[in-house]
Amino acid sequence: MINSVLRFGLIFILLILLQVLLFNNIQFSGYVNPYVYIMFILLLPIEIPSWLLLLLSFATGLIIDFFSGSPGMHTFSTVLAGFARPYVLRLVAPRDGYETGPDPSMMIYGFRWFLSYALLIVLIHHFTLFYIEVFRFADFFRTMLRVLLSTIFSMAFILLIEYYRKGK
Amino acid sequence: MRNLLNFLARYNNLIIFLLLEGIAFYMLTNGNSYQNSRLVNGVRGVTFGIEKKIYNTKSYLSLREINEGLAAENVALKNSIGQLVKKENSVFFSVNDSIHKQQYLHTSGEVIENSINRQKNFFTINRGEDQGIKVDMSVVTSNSVAGVVVGCSKNYSVAMSLLNLDFKLSARIKSNGYYGSLSWDGRDYRYAVLSEIPQHVLVNVGDTIETTGYSAIFPEGVMVGTVRDYEKYGGDFYKISVSLATDFKKLHFVDAIGNLKKTEQLQLEKLFR
Repeated sequence: MINSVLRFGLIFILLILLQVLLFNNIQFSGYVNPYVYIMFILLLPIEIPSWLLLLLSFATGLIIDFFSGSPGMHTFSTVLAGFARPYVLRLVAPRDGYETGPDPSMMIYGFRWFLSYALLIVLIHHFTLFYIEVFRFADFFRTMLRVLLSTIFSMAFILLIEYYRKGK
Repeated sequence: MRNLLNFLARYNNLIIFLLLEGIAFYMLTNGNSYQNSRLVNGVRGVTFGIEKKIYNTKSYLSLREINEGLAAENVALKNSIGQLVKKENSVFFSVNDSIHKQQYLHTSGEVIENSINRQKNFFTINRGEDQGIKVDMSVVTSNSVAGVVVGCSKNYSVAMSLLNLDFKLSARIKSNGYYGSLSWDGRDYRYAVLSEIPQHVLVNVGDTIETTGYSAIFPEGVMVGTVRDYEKYGGDFYKISVSLATDFKKLHFVDAIGNLKKTEQLQLEKLFR
């Protein structure tokens, strides 16, 4: 128990540092902005109680908001992603269900499972985030393009990190 | 009572979810607007040490001191121009005349944090109240518009970039003097849109766009950019795409300009509203 708290604490700090120091400074042409910190929500254990998941999502979003000077934006979309996670997990469940114990990782449930699981949550998160940022529907399709492009980049980085974890 | 407890136990996740989203939404609506960017400013103070380190690793160490010297020199020259103009005009007036004072005061600063990839971009300057920066001062680079100060702390201030959907600027075509409203459409950091120019006006690609000074924030005649192309929009007006003279991607040395006669102008205008 203590062990896993420590481990997730470390993952949490690492992902936030990566996001703030590296990914927040990536600015391709104003369309692409990867948000990789959402991976923390992806990696939490499957049988984590929902209330804890929601509180952790809230804390994650709040800290990212602090660092990027955008009160509420990241908090809102991360809490929504945390709320959606149990439903997404049920939706993409493998045929013989989840094992008790291990975290949702590519190593155990395979690449295709992880891809669809991560993609759904990242899409939900990015979709809310970018539309809240614009706060209007005037440029609906352009915002959609930003959502899709950023999702592709975020997913690429998340898969890369997940591969690295798998290798270890 | 038992029913109530059952209900709470059953929907507790939904309740927590709605509660947290409520808090987030409250922060969103109360903290993100132009008037309340003080919160942004306060929050920036917390994360400031880290941002400063990032900035320090980014900037060229050898070029910095030279540039700083040049910027300071520039400001001194601009201030002395203001004083010279005053002397020239006040030959026939008594010494303690309050009308022909210097109107604009320049203060140089460096941009230490900047973004161009959001819809509402802000940047931070390393000058604050102690150096005479106040809210609503205009910020320009060597000779073109950059933004408006929206919040100050002791030694730092946050400015709303021109690349912000809330930014509106009164601008005119230099060659014929027709003015309209300039804003950013959130697309490309190199281009902005000038609207409300009537269609009978002759517009050419390459025409210079400059500020009008009507808002009492920007001085008159500061360069904004040049006309890139234009199209008819609605029945009466042009929609003019302006390529900005400021390169926001390499915004570094800026001047904050305070209008010393601003309160006087605004008070007078208020009388007739």
